[in-house]
Amino acid sequence: MTVCFRSLTLLSAAILAMGACGRAYAGNPPRPILIRVDSVLAAESNEGIDPRLGQMRSMLQGAFSYTSYRLVNEQDQKTECGKMLSFTLPGGRILHVQPRAIDDGMIVMTIVLFEGARPMMTTDLKLMDHGNIIVGGAHYQQGILIISIGASTGSPIRPSEQPAPQQPSLAVPASAITR
Amino acid sequence: MSGCNEIGLMLGAFEDGELEPHEMQEVAFHLARCQACTAEISGIATIGRELRAIAPAPSLAGFAAKVKTRIDNLPAPLTARISRSISRRFGAIGSGLAWGGAIAAVAAMATLLMTPYAERFTNQYNNAAPTVAMLAHDAARVPDEIAKVLPEAIPADDRATLAGDSQAVILRLESEIPSVAVWNEPRTGTPVIWVPDQQQPQL
Repeated sequence: MTVCFRSLTLLSAAILAMGACGRAYAGNPPRPILIRVDSVLAAESNEGIDPRLGQMRSMLQGAFSYTSYRLVNEQDQKTECGKMLSFTLPGGRILHVQPRAIDDGMIVMTIVLFEGARPMMTTDLKLMDHGNIIVGGAHYQQGILIISIGASTGSPIRPSEQPAPQQPSLAVPASAITR
Repeated sequence: MSGCNEIGLMLGAFEDGELEPHEMQEVAFHLARCQACTAEISGIATIGRELRAIAPAPSLAGFAAKVKTRIDNLPAPLTARISRSISRRFGAIGSGLAWGGAIAAVAAMATLLMTPYAERFTNQYNNAAPTVAMLAHDAARVPDEIAKVLPEAIPADDRATLAGDSQAVILRLESEIPSVAVWNEPRTGTPVIWVPDQQQPQL
């Protein structure tokens, strides 16, 4: 009778432990991360700024001094930490983006830019949630290709839906918010 | 009461005044009543006087001065000579050295106390500073095309400040292209990595 009672106790404990583990596992599903890649053609053609660029225009004008910017391509893909995404850029370059972890509210990721099979640039970085980084420099058509890479863990928001930033700070600028 | 045999052993010392007070008293009491011991001590005293007369004591005049001179003439140890030389030559600035040492000690303490703040201060730059550092490092060989897209209106100092507001911290950046440049967009702090084509047409 004692043995039977002890077995029941052990069995109950094991079931409770498994339940707790399962609950903990189910409580932390992989966080989806949205990666947005916008390809912009910058040139000295005096054609102005593509209105589709929204508030990205201020970022482009702040970083560069071209006279025209045109949105060539925009791509959104969803992934999670550890899973790599591949984007084909105008002109044939390939961009690999792999979020690796979320550390203190920042997305740790690896970005590799390929030209054919040859990696031209590899970088590890921590990007603010809803933050952006620009990779540019390749010649495309009559200008230069500028790639805006954004990452966010929350619901995607288009840059045009964000209010303009009041001042430069660590706060997420509207132009950096991705869909 | 001691007898002549015991007192006789102490007579020499009595004559020289080397006995303990109670022994001196005992010998003197015995001599007052003993002719033989009185005669013996008289002989001892005579011998002493004659010996002192034969060998006069050397004069000690100037002895202390001579000893002092000889001590001064002895070769001093190396450390003593060095310290003496330093004190002689730098005696005038000795107080200055002391002040300098005190100031250095205070500076060292201040550095130790300020280290966390200094570290935080440097980290503020280091977080996004790779971009700025690389930019400065590669500034000499940035092609004209890259120089063209660099925001000219931003002084170098402001770039460093803006680095602290960067949206990203670049942990590692590798590229085979030597003219890769990195900077921050000044308004939003968006980092820009410029990877130009290797076969670019000359502008």
